[in-house]
Amino acid sequence: MVKNEKIDLKEFYEIRKEVLQTWPTGLKVSLDEAFRYHRTIPEERRFALVMKKAKEKRLTLLQPRAGVALIEDHIKLLRYLETEGQADLLPTTIDAYTRQNRYEEAEKGIEKSKQAGTSLLNGFPAVNHGVDGCRRVVESVSKPLQVRHGTPDARLLAEITLAAGFTSFEGGGISYNIPYAKRVPVEKSIRDWQYVDRLVGLYEENGIRINREPFGPLTGTLVPPCISIAIGIIEGLLALKQGVRSITLGYGQGGNIIQDVAAVTALRELAEEYFHQEGYDDFELTTVFHQWMGGFPEDEAKAFSVIALGAIVAKFSGAEKVIVKSPHEAMGIPTREANAQGLRATRQAINMVEDQVIFKPEDLDEEVMLIKAEVRSLLNKVYEVGAGDVAAGTVAAFEAGFLDVPFAPSVYNHGKIIPMRDNEGFIRIFNKGNLPLPDEIMAYHYQKLQERARAEGRAISFEMVTDDIYAISKGKLVGRPK
Amino acid sequence: MTDAIEKNHNTAKAENLEKPTIILGVIGADCHSVGNKILELFFTSEGFKVVNLGVMVSQQEFINAAIETNARAILVSSLYGHGEIDCQGFRDLCLEKGLDRIILYAGGNLVVGKTPFEVVEKKFKQMGFDRVFPPDVDLKKVAELLRQDIRERFSQEAGDSGAADSTVRTRN
Repeated sequence: MVKNEKIDLKEFYEIRKEVLQTWPTGLKVSLDEAFRYHRTIPEERRFALVMKKAKEKRLTLLQPRAGVALIEDHIKLLRYLETEGQADLLPTTIDAYTRQNRYEEAEKGIEKSKQAGTSLLNGFPAVNHGVDGCRRVVESVSKPLQVRHGTPDARLLAEITLAAGFTSFEGGGISYNIPYAKRVPVEKSIRDWQYVDRLVGLYEENGIRINREPFGPLTGTLVPPCISIAIGIIEGLLALKQGVRSITLGYGQGGNIIQDVAAVTALRELAEEYFHQEGYDDFELTTVFHQWMGGFPEDEAKAFSVIALGAIVAKFSGAEKVIVKSPHEAMGIPTREANAQGLRATRQAINMVEDQVIFKPEDLDEEVMLIKAEVRSLLNKVYEVGAGDVAAGTVAAFEAGFLDVPFAPSVYNHGKIIPMRDNEGFIRIFNKGNLPLPDEIMAYHYQKLQERARAEGRAISFEMVTDDIYAISKGKLVGRPK
Repeated sequence: MTDAIEKNHNTAKAENLEKPTIILGVIGADCHSVGNKILELFFTSEGFKVVNLGVMVSQQEFINAAIETNARAILVSSLYGHGEIDCQGFRDLCLEKGLDRIILYAGGNLVVGKTPFEVVEKKFKQMGFDRVFPPDVDLKKVAELLRQDIRERFSQEAGDSGAADSTVRTRN
């Protein structure tokens, strides 16, 4: 059974030998060379440092998602987002074949993209491009670069991209498995991510701080805040154990403004609390707010409105970073122009609210306290079934359905909980499945859902869920009957 | 999955026209699972026998399931942009495996980047898909078209192709 224990270095190097052999470019990775290289990276391109400064200055930095198949095109894309989009932080989004370790198919995708003269891959196949190829990207931009993906086993991807000079790496053993894979056991992905975190810890031991970011939004579809927050805290604890020190915890916009601001507040405060409780004091914790991750309206004018609302709530929530969507979201991968438009729309909205204080802490109290009580119930159970060990507890909790992510593709996820919006658009839980939430909390959720049912003149039903899932793309937050 | 297929297989023969079996799945390395779950609920409520293979399904898996359950149609979803690569050769593989009349639909965000739907539709029809749908299609309409396509392609078949079809004669 997997345990939340720091991987022994000798064991790490044994695993490492195998990992680097899984694709020819792996053999080119040298840690010593990587450490030397990282020391030459200027401060303004170091992700962890830039995030830390954002926290001190109370800034919300803007970051898009972007990645294409070929190196030169990818560089052009990132430069465009830097100049025309004024992005503060840059991504390299990895293609879906690489995410499943299907490097041969990624190779074909590269070839076909060359022939087609356009990217046929939905991201940058960093493993195939290797350390040298990735370093060309790193050296072509002037902002910090992060790897963004969705890879259950990201060990080789981390080795290559970090060696190339990337200074931040997204993902985690739960958040990059349950929403992104079908048949990867939770125990395996936690182990593989312990490796990634140990690698980052090794950089840390050599004086190089790499930022790590668990993926908060999960499936991006009516995820109750407590589930996202509990998983984020678990992944933060797992990372800290392996020596990670710069952690950015994420949350995906739900749609109700109060719930969203309360959720980020609860996330920040609970993470601080749990991290200290486990004996860590020397970490740098920041938060990231993801603009709406569900279905978008096809009409670009409407899409801009979704983007702007996300920007405003991100600022209100106090997140140090916002992940920005584009007006092409409904159609898939955006052009660079649309991507930059999303950034500019976000900037304008943030600038207009940054000096305003809308919420006093007491306005949010009720919702923050509710979310915190829920998260504690979930985490208490994880510790309980893991006999005090958060890694073992997580595996056991998914098996029992004590942790459960709605609408996830993984067969290792129960998928029994049914969330839906209440009359004001808060995401509530109708059926808790096996989530260990106390009766009085469930009674509150039920009462709120009953309010909606009465207002709509229909019984609480699964139809409400499907209505809610498509509501924003059809122009509203709550999926009302026609 | 196997359970679902076995259960389906037993009833598939008798109910084939009244309750046609259809295969659902998200092709390739795509893990977008939300729409897939909605489609399963929807087509089930529309009276189809749905065999849902979930996310990350290969062409071969779609075809195996269609053969095992004597399905009338395969509905391929793709949302992540690699649909163009993943769907190449699908019709040929169907023919090679003896599925010479299977109805093939594709829907979702099928290519990388914003592309006029007519272009996408043409591309996928050339690949042998019978119908192609954008992500915002009205599902009711799809169900209607599907029923119509199944009627047209399979109603005159009584007894003409293989044992599995002999029991549907009564519907003619």
